[in-house]
Amino acid sequence: MAQAEVSSEFLFGLDQRLQTFNRVMTTKAAIGQTPKEVVWTLNKAKLYRYIPVVPAEKRHPVPLLLVFALMNRPTILDLRPGHSFVEYMIGRGYDVYLMDWGVPGLEDKDLKLDDYVLDYLPRAIRKLKTLSKSEEFSMLGWCIGAILTTLYAALRPDDGLRNLLLLTAPLDFSKRKELTFAQWTDEKYFDVEKVIASMGNIPGEMIDYGARALKPVENYITSYCKLWDNLDNPRAVESWHAMNTWVTDILPMAGGAYRQLIVDLYRNDRLMKGELMIRGELVDVKRLRANLLTVIAEADHITPPCQSEPIASRTSSKDTEVYRVPGGHIGIMAGSAAHKQTWPHIDTWLGTRSS
Amino acid sequence: MPAENGSTKPADSFEAFRGMRDAYLDAMSKAMINAVNTEEYAQASGAMLNNALTLTAPFREVLDKSMVMALQQLSLPSRQEVAALAQRFANMEMRLDDIDAKLDRIVELSAVACPPTGRTVTEVKRPAETKTKAAHRGNTRKG
Repeated sequence: MAQAEVSSEFLFGLDQRLQTFNRVMTTKAAIGQTPKEVVWTLNKAKLYRYIPVVPAEKRHPVPLLLVFALMNRPTILDLRPGHSFVEYMIGRGYDVYLMDWGVPGLEDKDLKLDDYVLDYLPRAIRKLKTLSKSEEFSMLGWCIGAILTTLYAALRPDDGLRNLLLLTAPLDFSKRKELTFAQWTDEKYFDVEKVIASMGNIPGEMIDYGARALKPVENYITSYCKLWDNLDNPRAVESWHAMNTWVTDILPMAGGAYRQLIVDLYRNDRLMKGELMIRGELVDVKRLRANLLTVIAEADHITPPCQSEPIASRTSSKDTEVYRVPGGHIGIMAGSAAHKQTWPHIDTWLGTRSS
Repeated sequence: MPAENGSTKPADSFEAFRGMRDAYLDAMSKAMINAVNTEEYAQASGAMLNNALTLTAPFREVLDKSMVMALQQLSLPSRQEVAALAQRFANMEMRLDDIDAKLDRIVELSAVACPPTGRTVTEVKRPAETKTKAAHRGNTRKG
């Protein structure tokens, strides 16, 4: 009798777990929920302004622009209520704007870093300045977004950029042996022109495969085992669900920008060598003089620390800091410890430089 | 047994299995990370992609050509033509954005030059607005 009870309890528990697992795997979590309004658009790009929650007189006068990568949605910065970097920053009195690059179509296959840096960003920033009535602003770039913001900061140093925050910034490509992507995209094995000619834009699935294949067991097996082990913990399940929703929402990357990423950066390290040309202008990082905070994820397998470290000593910024956080490429900003570690540090650093 | 000893945590019969699984996955993970970091992996994945693109190229070409012909027969624009149009829209949007910014600047400067205080501005504005509206109405009737 007791054995039958145990069996039925076990089966009931198993059924519950399977239902939760099925729900998490087949539905999308509500992410990017912080109230915002579209204040500017250009082609597929949108500039959002988050609705402030702090009265104007208590807010920092210098607005903050968030710039994320091109091949993932920027909703990672506003993952879920109670665990959102955007929500945290507007609560701390920042006027927060977010650049959403949108999904490139066939017509955007020739878009280059030049276009993002010299057509899109300056216009979005012009709008931000008009709306915030501030001639100065801060900018936070993450991953490829950090490349774009660095290029902008170096090419337009007089545009009012006061503070630049670079998160897991892939800027130095000189240590090729430490960069798995550099090995995979070496010209001996990878014909970038053929790929672009065949596909136009690089499919999100291909980029996603590249990122997952760096740690195949973790991404394809361990992650799901962890979910299964924590199915009885609703907080862990909701967190996993939100992250999985973001991770699986992948975007293609414009062919022109992809070519520059591979040829100019991964293969030839042109930015750090001072040879990178953006629409005929030579990018000299020495011209970057905004206050600079570089955040490095110590266990980052996508952007190893060696790629982000050198920038701090190569600019003309008089105020630089390198902040190292234990964690991975995404985990440092969206992981469970982000609100105790990375976010408060960013707030402290930026708060003293935004008045 | 742990419950009998006063512990609140129930016994987990799968604990040992989980431990073994995690140890196996850890070992597997390290081996796989090492494997994907080799020249051989880069070479193999590059060759696979290259072959896939080479093999599918003739089919894609035939499909593209036949699609263009079919669309021509139906007097419909091709993908390339729609893409070119979209590019022109994006360029126009960019120009409009610049014009919009210039107008904002003009409004801002004119507000600084002659601040809108009192009746003068209202008196100048009203007849002009009325005129425009009247002209517009007239045009509409003619059209």
